[in-house]
Amino acid sequence: MASFQPMHAQDKLAFLLSLVPYLMDHDRVSVADAAAHFGVPPEQIRQAVRLIAVSGVPGETTQYQHDDLFDIDWDAFEQDDEIAITHLVAIDESPRFSAREAAALIAGLQYLSGLPEQADRDVVGSLMAKLSRGASAAPSEVAVGSGDLDEALATIRRSVATARSLAFDYLNARGERERRTVDPLRVESLDADWYVRAWDHGRQAVRTFRLDRMSGLDVTDEPASAEGRDVVLPETLFQASPDDLSVELELSEAALPLVDDWIGGSERRRVDPDRVRVTVRLAHYGALTRLVAGLAGLATVVGPPDARATVERWAGDALANYATGGGSPSPATGPAR
Amino acid sequence: MPESSSPSARVPVEERLFSLVLALVATENGLTKNEILSTVQGYRQRFVSGGDNTSLERQFERDKDDIRDLGIPMETVEPPGEQGNNHLLRYRISKGDYDLPSDLTFSAQEITLLGLASTVWRQGSLSAESQRALVKLRSLGIRSDDPVIGYAPRLRTRESSFEPLRAALERHTTVTFPYLKPGDSAPRRRTVSPLALVQHRGRWHLYGRDEDAAAPRTFLLARIVGAPRSTSKSFEPPEGGGSAERALAELDALWRSQRATVRVVDGSDAATRLARRPGSSVDLGGVITLQYTDVDILADELASFGPEVEALTPGDLRAAVIKRLTILAHAHAPAEED
Repeated sequence: MASFQPMHAQDKLAFLLSLVPYLMDHDRVSVADAAAHFGVPPEQIRQAVRLIAVSGVPGETTQYQHDDLFDIDWDAFEQDDEIAITHLVAIDESPRFSAREAAALIAGLQYLSGLPEQADRDVVGSLMAKLSRGASAAPSEVAVGSGDLDEALATIRRSVATARSLAFDYLNARGERERRTVDPLRVESLDADWYVRAWDHGRQAVRTFRLDRMSGLDVTDEPASAEGRDVVLPETLFQASPDDLSVELELSEAALPLVDDWIGGSERRRVDPDRVRVTVRLAHYGALTRLVAGLAGLATVVGPPDARATVERWAGDALANYATGGGSPSPATGPAR
Repeated sequence: MPESSSPSARVPVEERLFSLVLALVATENGLTKNEILSTVQGYRQRFVSGGDNTSLERQFERDKDDIRDLGIPMETVEPPGEQGNNHLLRYRISKGDYDLPSDLTFSAQEITLLGLASTVWRQGSLSAESQRALVKLRSLGIRSDDPVIGYAPRLRTRESSFEPLRAALERHTTVTFPYLKPGDSAPRRRTVSPLALVQHRGRWHLYGRDEDAAAPRTFLLARIVGAPRSTSKSFEPPEGGGSAERALAELDALWRSQRATVRVVDGSDAATRLARRPGSSVDLGGVITLQYTDVDILADELASFGPEVEALTPGDLRAAVIKRLTILAHAHAPAEED
């Protein structure tokens, strides 16, 4: 998980105000432990402690006398890399959340409200109430509707909890169906789409599976293999591969965010005031037709020619379904693959 | 800040803000602006006794906003009998309003879940704010449990109108934006008082009062085709909130009431995925009944499945899919002039 790195003075202030009550609750804590707890580099803790130790209030003399300042056990800090606050000033409790901070966490919780971790009781509801009570004003009206999360999640979790492999039928985007046996490593999501990354026994490699393409899920009797355990998963869900196809798209500027995942570092070449060309990288033409057909009127394939032809054929085959007339139960035409 | 380069501007910003918070929490009766500027670390070094402190005063105004943004409630107290005299206004932070209520506790499991919730946002103001909330939570010193399986959830706010609308929502400012309804050839400018931003089934919606229609309306962010502009008008949101809940309930009701039927090619990707869609039911003969919120969004989704699916009913869905496929085929036909 990415570590928290304060950038703005506001974030640094929030960090200082949070570190004080934490240190107060721990008579003596190592810099390493504090860093691990807050998920920040040790040097960030040291810098904050140095600042806290010389800070305070103007006091009666308005001169920041010794008693008006925080103090720490300097020997322990300098020699043992340990923090012990010996004198407190003004604050001793954690600060409240702002209305926006509470709202951001609440909306995140709502998004996760269908996870098996919280299926048995209303953890989210109780947490939302706590966050609202801990906020300085009513959380703002930003909300995420509870999606019905895929039932596969519970089975995936059971596979991990019992350290047994998971088997399922999987239809990949090329249209190939196969029974796969895997050890799940991480569940990921992108908006309404959920994925699991897993060590695939057959491929002897990590593969990403879309939950809504999995069927017939079973936790097997086979113990999870050791190979997957040490794999370091990349941060991004979609990785470019040297075998990817490069396709040039022309699209309106407003549609650019919709193809964001496939653009990578491609430069944008402007063709007229509101149309740009970008190169997208995709694993195969199956993914291209999906992408472009969902953006009909917004994006057009410029090249290469066989990519254009593939999209045209895909659209033509689809239209042929409709040429047979309004909803008559004709057998589906065999799609060209 | 570029405007000031006095020698003592060396006190780091966070030290000045931290010192200001400490001073205002410590004072019982409050401090006047003059007392703050002349005595608090970070200001006092730049304070000119009896001189012009205009830029320092402006600095203080910005710092007040930054501190309030963090959820720290700064009060102003007017001395009795001296109302309206800004120089005598006293500032303080009440300990009771600053402190997280002491009876508010979180279990290790709850901390884990909140940590996970904070990772949902990876960009924009929601990400920065949930990270800050998490730092405040960690100050409680509660250890988190490791979840059974790692999760990397991610929810995006890709529409560029999201941040300006969220700002307008916070400030209760009426905005205008060009809104393109499907089937219209040109966008129409709408004037809206934003009441909630909600994500429903993967799409962000703005719920607000349409000032021209004088009634509540829901707008898809994806159809806001230009930057929202703030008007000079502000409004009073309804007492007691609940707008987000209402917006989601309305969208849910719409989703439940609308049904489409499609025929899928047996064994295709469309057959698997559409059957797994929440609310779907699989009928005989490869026909799937789907629930949906918006006919054009469903048409986009169905068009992306190409020949694997045929939209049957309602008629406007069928027509919308045919239209998309026709545009697609036409746009990719061999170019004659090449």
